[in-house]
Amino acid sequence: MEKLKRTRNFCIVAHIDHGKSTLADRLIERTGTLAKRDMQAQLLDSMELEREKGITIKLTPTRMKYNYDGEEYILNLIDTPGHVDFTYEVSRSLQACEGAILIVDASQGVEAQTLANAYLAIDNNLEILPVINKIDLPSARPEEVKGEIEDIIGVPAGHAPCISAKDGTNIDSVLEMIVKEFPSPKGDKEGKLKCLIFDSYYDNFKGAICLVRIIDGTVKQGDKILMMQTGKTYDVTEVGFFVPNMKVSEVLEAGDVGYIAASIKTISDVAVGDTVTHLNSPCEQPLAGYKKVQPVVYCGVFPVDGAKYNELKDALEKLKLNDASLEYQPEVSDALGFGFRCGFLGLLHLEIITQRIEREFNLDLITTAPSVYYKVHKTSGEIIEISNPSDLPSPVEIEYIEEPSVKANIFTPPEYVGAVMELCQNKRGEYKGLTYLDKSRVRVDYILPLGEIVYDFFDSLKSRTKGYASFDYAMSGFTRSDLVRVDILLNGEKCDALSIIVHKDSAYSRGRVLTEKLKKIIPRQLFEVPIQAAIGNKVIARETLSAMRKDVLAKCYGGDITRKRKLLEKQKEGKKRMRRIGSVEIPSEAFMSILKLDDDE
Amino acid sequence: MAIYLHIPFCESKCIYCDFASFCNAENEKVRYLKSLNAEIDNSPYKGREIDTIYIGGGTPSCVKEEYIEELLSTLRKNFVFSNNIEISMECNPNSVNLEKLKKYRSLGLNRISFGVQSLHDALLKKIGRLHNGEIALQAIKMAQRAGFENINADLLIGLPNSTIEGIIDDAGKLIQAGITHISAYMLQVEEGAKLYALVKSGKIFLPTDDESVAQYEALVSFLEKKGFIRYEISNFAKGQHECRHNLKYWSGAEYLGFGLGAHSYVEGVRKANARTFEGYYKGEIFMEKLTPKESIEEMIMLGLRCRLGFSKAKLFKHGYKIENNINFKTYLSKGILTENGDRVHLNPSYYGTSNYIIANLLP
Repeated sequence: MEKLKRTRNFCIVAHIDHGKSTLADRLIERTGTLAKRDMQAQLLDSMELEREKGITIKLTPTRMKYNYDGEEYILNLIDTPGHVDFTYEVSRSLQACEGAILIVDASQGVEAQTLANAYLAIDNNLEILPVINKIDLPSARPEEVKGEIEDIIGVPAGHAPCISAKDGTNIDSVLEMIVKEFPSPKGDKEGKLKCLIFDSYYDNFKGAICLVRIIDGTVKQGDKILMMQTGKTYDVTEVGFFVPNMKVSEVLEAGDVGYIAASIKTISDVAVGDTVTHLNSPCEQPLAGYKKVQPVVYCGVFPVDGAKYNELKDALEKLKLNDASLEYQPEVSDALGFGFRCGFLGLLHLEIITQRIEREFNLDLITTAPSVYYKVHKTSGEIIEISNPSDLPSPVEIEYIEEPSVKANIFTPPEYVGAVMELCQNKRGEYKGLTYLDKSRVRVDYILPLGEIVYDFFDSLKSRTKGYASFDYAMSGFTRSDLVRVDILLNGEKCDALSIIVHKDSAYSRGRVLTEKLKKIIPRQLFEVPIQAAIGNKVIARETLSAMRKDVLAKCYGGDITRKRKLLEKQKEGKKRMRRIGSVEIPSEAFMSILKLDDDE
Repeated sequence: MAIYLHIPFCESKCIYCDFASFCNAENEKVRYLKSLNAEIDNSPYKGREIDTIYIGGGTPSCVKEEYIEELLSTLRKNFVFSNNIEISMECNPNSVNLEKLKKYRSLGLNRISFGVQSLHDALLKKIGRLHNGEIALQAIKMAQRAGFENINADLLIGLPNSTIEGIIDDAGKLIQAGITHISAYMLQVEEGAKLYALVKSGKIFLPTDDESVAQYEALVSFLEKKGFIRYEISNFAKGQHECRHNLKYWSGAEYLGFGLGAHSYVEGVRKANARTFEGYYKGEIFMEKLTPKESIEEMIMLGLRCRLGFSKAKLFKHGYKIENNINFKTYLSKGILTENGDRVHLNPSYYGTSNYIIANLLP
């Protein structure tokens, strides 16, 4: 049988925590791709952060070999992220596959992201193989869940393997089904080279690495290639695939998933979604590529140590390489100095990126409160888009403001419907409908302002439903709203990095909470410091930070000056982490703390 | 030059203490004395003139008078005592009697520092002191009868259950008894002390920072009314009775320390002996030659603790133009610092927050 016919390219999609990475590990182990002793739990989640959070963020393709019916099959697994923020990355990897394993937790059943990811796969014309996981749990109800899959998603599930990725039950049947159910890739090995870059990352020795799916033709070391979108040309230095570590291969041909290294020095020269072809005999049409995604959440990112601006810039550049959705541009703040305003796909994305910068690049960051972008219609007729509260024009120049809203689907057990609706109502939601999916689950639909979601919606939803509700949303345009900017004044001076844009009705309560919180976080200063929240010139909340009274070293015993000096040096060192507004020193934590306004309530 | 002698023995350990002191170390006393004598005999600075000696601890009064006598004679053998030498010793009120004090006086001691801490019996018991208020006042009287004019009492501010009234009452009684100097320290909860665990586990409650600052401020204004001058953050003297030895620490003068955990500062080098008997006997030391930056830091830190202040010209000579420090300008304009020609002083109302201010002035 020719190689193409013995190749299967597939991904695994699932709701978060339904066991995607565990199944991937089992497949790798069962096909003998890695010896058991080399396995570490959840192998494909290569980032420390991924293993820690139990989520997959980046895509990692792995080639496995599997013998079936006397033939050796090549199975290329392309792992995908599971969180709503990373839908974009999921859709990217789907384009490199012909099939998708849809994992559903045998006790949880179909969840928001099960549905969203299944639809994504269907939209990409992938063959879908449902797999019921976690049947080892006492609460497992595989037959009911199969019914849910058929009823809710509309995919036949009668033949779905019932497995436990954890203890290895029935993994072989999954492998068998992959071979039997998924189509082999179509493509012409003899044709002109056409391949899709579905991801990329930077390797310190080999330069930028393109993760590719070969559609037609072949590519090998020494080939001159052309990136059709950027127009850049390179000499291929190495091709290969992942097992799951990099393994050099002589050639990649139609149907293969692997990597191309070509001494690409500048990371920004690799555009994910671009088509790679041969310089001397290019294919006629590039692939459709990916559509650009629009960030939905913005925040300022600043180095705690102002001198590290350039290091932060390098870090963002490197991350941007394999995360096209990350956007950033330089920003200067009176309070925080030089930094960047960054755009993210959601709050988790924001959290992941900032944590990666801190860990992988060893930089301490200050991030400002997340904000969405607003369309400001000025009295002059001009329309501007702003994502930084500081950029909001003065009220007299504003005709009206529009804010982005989302269509939200909340899945919850029926007993929490009241609590969910109350929450949505509080968040200025517009009720759209209620659907009873089955005895135990209801879908509540609302239109909600995105700005309310980025504030504390996830946490509130979780706490009101004891963690049972899940939540999914899609952008749904702009809505005119009565919005104001609340500024924070410290000792009478405005601190730009603490400004927020909120609905007029919640301005007073947010101002109050903010000033109270800051009073707790800002250490006492030599002088009394008024902390005020204001809309324009009108003060809407005030707290007073009383003057510091005690900061003194006691006895200098027996001439031990060294100890005292060391303590003072340490104290001075600590001030590097402080920012100054006028004469007030603010610890960098204060800026972050307003992200979690409702901690104590 | 000044000399510090460390006697690391105590009858019992106070709950707030993390100093180098040991109780039930009876067997060590002989060996320690021998080592201490040897350390003095081997000093490379033999023959220098000495104008202050401070015998601290631990509790120097808990060893026999002969012990002190021997040490002083070793010192006399190796150094030249100036005519107006100040010789201070720390004593616990409960470990002295008239005989002992007379003996001290005859050995040339002329300043006694009593670890009074408080005159309130319940309070004293709580912090592990062995004396009571009455014993403390009697000890002061005895010292006077033995011929001491220069007598200090240590007071601790911010003790559990302490009040402003109680502290003022204590200070009044001590002044009436005739003390000429008060060292008042804020109780510090050190990690190495027993108090740390007691506070952590909620077995002892301390006054809040604001409360202990209020106590301190009340004490300061009371002492000033009584004619005591605050010549250093925590030291108050009547007339000319400033502790000359301690002033040397603040002014960057040289001193030699002998004994376990003792510190020296000679020729720009800070040296500390080990804090354990074992380490001390082996001669383990910590040493650092001050960098210009460290010298500058110390000049500011030490200068601002005293009425004396620091010299801008001297800082500049070491390479620091403090006039360029933005905080310096702000503090001058707000009256937190005051200038008098070349000297800069910290406004005493800000002594309580001196760390914060000093940290902002360092290079």
